[in-house]
Amino acid sequence: MSEPGRAPMPDEPPPFLGSWRRVYAAVLVYLALLIALFYAFTRVFS
Amino acid sequence: MRPLDWFVLFASLASIVAYGIYKGRGSNTVNRYLLAGKTMPWYAMALSIMATQASAITFISTTGQSYVDGMRFVQFYFGLPIAMVIIAATAVPIFHRSGVYTAYEYLEKRFDSKTRSLVSAIFLIQRGLAAGISLAAPAIVLSLILGWPDRVTILVMGGLVISYTVSGGIKAVTWTDVQQMLIIFAGLFVALGTAIWLLPRGVSLGDAVSLAGAVGKLNAVVLRFDLKDQYNIWSGLIGGAFLALAYFGTDQSQVQRYLTGKSIAQSRLSLLFNAVAKVPMQFLILFTGAMVFVFYIYTKPPMLFETAELRAAGGRLERSAYERAERDFAAAFERRKAAAGELVEARRNGEAAAAARGIERYNAAQQSMDDARARGIRLVERAAGTSGFNDTNYIFLTFVTRYMPAGIVGLIMAAIFAAGMSGIAAEINSLATVSVIDIYRRHIRSGASDRHYLWASRIATAFWGCYAITFAQYAKNLGSLVVAVNMVGSLFYGGMLGVFVLAFLFPRVRGTAAFIGVLAGEAAIFYCRWFTGISFLWYNVVGCAVVVTTGVALSAARREPGTRT
Repeated sequence: MSEPGRAPMPDEPPPFLGSWRRVYAAVLVYLALLIALFYAFTRVFS
Repeated sequence: MRPLDWFVLFASLASIVAYGIYKGRGSNTVNRYLLAGKTMPWYAMALSIMATQASAITFISTTGQSYVDGMRFVQFYFGLPIAMVIIAATAVPIFHRSGVYTAYEYLEKRFDSKTRSLVSAIFLIQRGLAAGISLAAPAIVLSLILGWPDRVTILVMGGLVISYTVSGGIKAVTWTDVQQMLIIFAGLFVALGTAIWLLPRGVSLGDAVSLAGAVGKLNAVVLRFDLKDQYNIWSGLIGGAFLALAYFGTDQSQVQRYLTGKSIAQSRLSLLFNAVAKVPMQFLILFTGAMVFVFYIYTKPPMLFETAELRAAGGRLERSAYERAERDFAAAFERRKAAAGELVEARRNGEAAAAARGIERYNAAQQSMDDARARGIRLVERAAGTSGFNDTNYIFLTFVTRYMPAGIVGLIMAAIFAAGMSGIAAEINSLATVSVIDIYRRHIRSGASDRHYLWASRIATAFWGCYAITFAQYAKNLGSLVVAVNMVGSLFYGGMLGVFVLAFLFPRVRGTAAFIGVLAGEAAIFYCRWFTGISFLWYNVVGCAVVVTTGVALSAARREPGTRT
């Protein structure tokens, strides 16, 4: 039976921001900004 | 539905099936059939992950949820980006490097056969139950809207999915998911645009947003902490993160999507795309529901959006009392409309006192509408001999079919069908994979040829498709289907998440401790379900914590053979 590749898979860098840590941090900062924006949206229109 | 709508609907469904069969060509080995030969680019996996999660019932009921309860449901998704980051950093490289077909295959490499078998069985039970329910739920709603018997809608949806999933495997599923997600996006943007366009003359988008906010429909963030409240920022961030970790990190219907990636980086990007896009997408869907609510402030809504029970009540309904409730509802609607007009005018002119008076009048009229509706519901339930009437799922579809222009109704119906089909395709594809790899090949017939397992996978896919169609016929009588889907998932995900946390983060814990940990975690979840009032979002947190604590404690106490020191 054919098996999925078990060859060592190198940890390629992301296409932007240089390292995965930076990409993860950017996603979390984006989430924080989104929540802050939604909170402001709630307050402004309530 | 008008002829143009039928044309759009059928053309969309036919193109999905044709595209699926076309893209699924060449799936002639097990590796290609179950993992697409690990050739998928990130954007295809990203849209497939998104389409798999966006079930039809979510699409239909999320807008209704916003109409009834405001936008606070968006908080349910706040934990998702956190979970995606954790999975991208931990699970993705581990699964890829261990060369597995299923997440549970990895558990045997890390622990032992019994832990793999237990978790595979949990997945088959949980996902097997959900498969029937998630086919039945949209089929019932669409049946009422299209006027088809629900048996026919279930057969059409299930049959279409089986046709391309059996022949093309995961490649067909993934590429049709991409197409389905594009149809869903188109339906979503068109629905929002049309809802705004249908606002009455003289009511601008700014007025509509201001009005929706003033009457409490734009409550996107609730800071209050309450364990029994499903939707606040804390349950969303913590409970939502655990739920998303369990769903995207341990459920084969999702893990299999990113195992098809051509590299670790491509799989990571597919998850991170969802981390970025999912919350705004849900916000948009909920905002559409809020705009539908504003539309119905100016256009009289039906007292009951779902009329099947009303028809079922027939001659047993106290007709005069029901008509009185309808008259009271209509009169209160006129008062509410007038109060909304005053409120908008006062806000435009910046008159705070007049705005406060407008809100007061609006709330009083809304209360009268709610009372009249509650009386109507009681009369229908008494006459039909039912209870727990809930028409949230019919609000958006009623709006679409009654007020949207020809062609757009067909597009939105196609989007709902597409959302339903993408979820079901992923479910039967993953159920077949676990059945063949974790059960059949592991315990029944090992060492057979690739061709043998390829055909076993095809037969298993057809079996699970037929099972979903058959089970859906019974699932439609289970009561609230959305609650049922959520409940089934929440009862098992905590245990599954816990065992993967043990596997990834606690290298000293071995098989028996993990196995007992899963059983203890499941016992704790069922205790919470039956003996406490804790909201289901917290079950995953409790289950995971109990599995990890038990596994670590037993491991420390037992000094199992093979324990690393």
